[in-house]
Parts: sequence; structure tokens; C-alpha cells
Amino acid sequence: MSVGDRLPESIGDRLPDRSGDSALALGGVLVVLAALFVLTPISATLPGALYVFLEVAILFAVYGILVLGLDLQYGHTGLVNFGHVVFFAVGGYTVAMLSAEDPFAGIGLGLPWPLALVAGIVVAGVLGAVVGATSLRLRDDFLAIATLATAEIFHSLFVNFRGVFGGNTGILGVPQPVKALAGDTDTTLLATLLLFGGACAITFAVVTRLTDSPYGRVLRAIRADELVTRSVGKSTFTYKMQAFVYGAALAGLAGGLFALYNGAVAPGYFTIQVTVTVWIGMLLGGASNHRAVLAGLAVIMGLRLLSRFALGVAPVSADAFASIRLIFVGLVLVGVIRYRPAGIWGDEKELGVDS
Amino acid sequence: MGLAQNVVFGLVTGSYIAIAAIGFTLIYGIVNMINFAYGEYLTIGAFVGVLSAGMLPLPLPVAALVAMAGGGVASLVLARAFFTPINDTGPVPMLLTSIGLGLALRNLIRLTGGRSARYFDTETATYRFDGLPDLAVGPVDLLGDLFVTSEQLVVVGSAVAVFVVLHAMLTRTDVGIAMRAMGDDESLARVRGIDTQFIRDSVWVVAGVLAGLAGVLIGIQTNVSSSTGFSHILQILAAAILGGAGSPYGAIAGAYVIGLVLALSTAFLPAGMTGISTAVAFFILVVVLLVKPSGIAGQEVREA
Repeated sequence: MSVGDRLPESIGDRLPDRSGDSALALGGVLVVLAALFVLTPISATLPGALYVFLEVAILFAVYGILVLGLDLQYGHTGLVNFGHVVFFAVGGYTVAMLSAEDPFAGIGLGLPWPLALVAGIVVAGVLGAVVGATSLRLRDDFLAIATLATAEIFHSLFVNFRGVFGGNTGILGVPQPVKALAGDTDTTLLATLLLFGGACAITFAVVTRLTDSPYGRVLRAIRADELVTRSVGKSTFTYKMQAFVYGAALAGLAGGLFALYNGAVAPGYFTIQVTVTVWIGMLLGGASNHRAVLAGLAVIMGLRLLSRFALGVAPVSADAFASIRLIFVGLVLVGVIRYRPAGIWGDEKELGVDS
Repeated sequence: MGLAQNVVFGLVTGSYIAIAAIGFTLIYGIVNMINFAYGEYLTIGAFVGVLSAGMLPLPLPVAALVAMAGGGVASLVLARAFFTPINDTGPVPMLLTSIGLGLALRNLIRLTGGRSARYFDTETATYRFDGLPDLAVGPVDLLGDLFVTSEQLVVVGSAVAVFVVLHAMLTRTDVGIAMRAMGDDESLARVRGIDTQFIRDSVWVVAGVLAGLAGVLIGIQTNVSSSTGFSHILQILAAAILGGAGSPYGAIAGAYVIGLVLALSTAFLPAGMTGISTAVAFFILVVVLLVKPSGIAGQEVREA
């Protein structure tokens, strides 16, 4: 059997389409629109019923950046990172600790937020490099455990080192640049959504460029058969490391944006549930297809939105409802793996699930 | 608190982690999956134990047996429902399924069992271990100020009993020998006429029984809540991998190392940092994986 037969067909003939360029254009337009709301006296008035939609949509844009990074790692390179939330958290905490003024508990240095955001991306990327250097040689399921372990270690550090990370309270007083510039709540929400949507679209464009290039083909070849890829002279470890660091840095960006929108970070925002949510989104949509993973994420986030409305009418306490929602989320993960292993829009052949 | 006292804590912690880690590592070695939901099996066992001890009420040893039976049944039913159908898909889908199942089970228990902690009533006469002297009454003049409670003796004693029974099972019984054969080479075992599905089911039952016992022992030591198992799964994982995943005897050794490291680390960490033990256990785990990237010696031999 030749090498060509062993690689999924679509790796060889996947050609760049225009989706990257249109996403870039969309991202640019959204950012400009956001700037219009933020920098000019134009303001928006929204009906109160829309608030919950906007909040979930903003979170969708943040998680969208997360899932695109994760898809680069798992969907394209086959790296089973089950601690993705740690890079999200580290980005958020770095931004918060550097930029917060009067943080109530923990460190807040009060530096300018753009500097903090860049630092958040860099620190998350560096952590990705450290985790990658130590873990990427592991077998798939051990890599999952090692990354999960990293996330749990950091979670318990955040909770226990109150003097540094603010304990369970987290770090308050993080600057909210959009809110500061836009003024009222309605304009802030809309501008944040446009800005984050733009960031997500631009991330989509960048990731698409990367994976449509010959570089992306090497990544997919590694997932399909690492030994063969190494035998044609590619340093697979270097490629895996790069993909891992890119994914981690994107998660750091998402975490930083989240902190600057939210005005605070706390361990409660960065639990294993975040990892599970983005994994479900990715698997549900179809790993290795950027549009599909975002669509999958939209489905699972849509369920979250529905559950917010259901909470209003359900005859149970908020706490019981939270449990019910998590039971459901867990079972969705189980069900997706069992019944749609390639996802709704995924390519079964490319993912090799039928083998 | 003296160093010797910490060693006692370490041995007690190591004992219940060892019981659970054996079950975990048997699943890893024979079904070939990392079962992240295994912690919830402990919780199920602990709840069955605390409910049957508190409501029926049963004497503690009988409640422990009921909990073991409950753990075994739950383990087999969950395996048949969730893991057996996807047995051939490889380790990653199995692991992800177990993470999803664990999340669902944990919250199901929280929903039905409530958030508050429950306690085994070890103080009242019904649950006293009548045959045992209560050493907690005063310091034992052996190594200075050394306290040992009868509950601690029960935990360590149960672990020793489990080790003896397990060793006998693996070396003397047909099922145990077949388990070891499957752990070594499944296809060879099948060729030799071993009913692999039956052996897998047996492993699930044994693992569930051990989880049930471990859950009750943890409950006796501390309390029972919906997060009982989840807060121990990381230590169990670390013990199993430290000992060489798939090796029951290694898991025992790994568990005592983890137990002692955790107990001794509290002596050096500032007070109020007890929550850090999770991080310590996982830090050990990551270091072990670093030194032995393949995770397991046995696995390397098999793949060569």
C-alpha cells in the first residue's frame, strides 16, 4: 500500500477557497462598525428582551476563537488537548493582573490594557510551549490526561493563592475599554458584540489561510499518519508544537478579550465546562472544518440560550436547573461521539472514523 | 503534628486510593480505556453505603457490602450502556465518553442527593467496630504523640484484605488468569478460547465493587458528597499511572507513594492550602509522564 493510499483523499486535493478572504472582509466591516459606535456619538437603543441574546452571542464570539484554536490542534493536527480552558484562563488572568486597578484581592498592576492583552496572548502561548514540550510525545489519551491535569493544577492554584490570584473572588477592577468609550449599556453590548464578532471572523480568516496552505496539509498528514509524515522528512514534533502554541495563543486572546469585556476574572468562569463546551461544539459540527466547528458551537450555545429561557418557566431551583443542564451537556458529548463521530458537517473519510 | 502522624495519614490515604486505583488500572489494562467517570463510581458506592447505613439502618460492614454490590452493578450497567458499544473506536472516543458520562453522573447525583455532605454515623453504637480497641482514646506511646483511630485501622485493614483477595483471584481463579492473559495480548487470548466479552464484564464488576468499597472508606474518613469521587479521581489516576497503568501491583505501590507525598506535603504547605493537594497529585502525574512518556512499560513491550 503506497503512502498516497493511506492518506485521506481530501488532504491532497483540498484547495484554498475564498472563505478566508470573505471572513477577513467581514471581520474588517464588523470592527469598523464597532468603532463607529464606540468612537462617535452614535449610540444604540435595544429592547431589554435582546440582552440575553447579545450576552450569549458575545460569549459565542469568545468561545468561537477558542474553538478555532482547538480545531487547529485537534481537528487538523490530531492533538487531544482536553485542558483548553487553561490557556483561556491564563490569558484572562494575565490581562486582569496586569491591567486591573484596585482589584480587591490578588495582584492588579494597573498597566495599560493593550499591553496587558498582548502579554496575555504571549503568556498563554508560552504556557502552550511548556505544556507542549512536555506532553506532545505522549500517546493520545495520555496527552488528554496531561492537559486536563494542567488545567486542574492551574484551577487549584487560582483558588488557593488568594494573595496572587484573588482566590474564589478572582480579580475585580479590570478596565472595560469598550464600556468606558461607549458610555451606555446598550451601545456597549452592541459594540462589544461587533468587535468580538470581528475578532472571531479575523481569527477564522487567519486560521483558514494557515490550514489551506501547504503548512495545513502537513498538519493533516500528521493526524492521518504521523510515521509516514516523519518518513518524508517532516519534523512532526516541530509542527505539532507550532499548532499547539498557535491554539494556546488564540485561547489566550479569547481569555484577554473576555476579561476586558467582563471587568473581572474568577475561577468560576474557567472550569472544565468551558473545555467540554468547546469540545462538544467542535465534535458536533465536525472537526477539521472551521465553518463546521463554529456551526456546532452555535448549536450548543443555542441550547444554552434556550435553557436560559427554560429556567424562567421550569419549576425547579436555579441550582437544580444547573445540574440538569450539565447532565444534558454530558449526555450530548456521549451521544455525539457515539452517533455522529465525524460531526454533523464533518468529513468521515478525512477524520478516519470509519477505519 | 509529628512526622509519624503524617505517615499514618499517608498510609490511610494510600490504602483507599490503592483500592480504587486497582479497579481503575484493571479497566485500563483490559478494556484499554482511561475511565474518567470512575470517580463517580466511588460516589455511587459511597451514597449507596451511607443511605443503607443511615436509612435501613444496617451495621456498617453490611452497608459496605451493599455499597460494593451497588458499585459492581452500576459499573456493569454503565459499561454495557455506554462503553461496550464503542469498544472498537479507540482510546480517545472512550476517554471523551467517560468524561461526558462523569459530568452527567456527578450532576445526577447532585440533583438527587443534594449538595450537602452526609456522614457515616461512626459514633453511635450501631456503627462502632465492636471487636476493635479504640486507639483514638489517647496517644499511643509508640513513636511519641501518635494517634490512630479505629476507622483508620479499618481502612488499612480493608486494603490489605483486598490485596490478598485480588492476588488470589489473579493467580488462582480461571477468571483472574484470563484477565491477565487479556491484559497481555487480547487477540492471543481470544484465539485460546477465552470469552473476551465475559472477561471484560467481569473486570467492570470487579472495578465497580472496588470503587464501592473505596467510596465507603473515604466516606468513613471524611464525608459523602456528590464530589467525593471527582475530588479523588486525579489521585487515583496519578497512582495508576505512577505504578505503570495496567499493573494492579504497581497501582498499589503508586497509591502509597501518592498518599505519603500528599500527607507529607501538608506538613510543608502553609495552613489553609489543603485544596492544593489536587495540584500536587497531578503535578506528580505530569512529572511521571515526562520521565516515562509512553506511560507504561508493559505497553511498550506489546507494541514493539
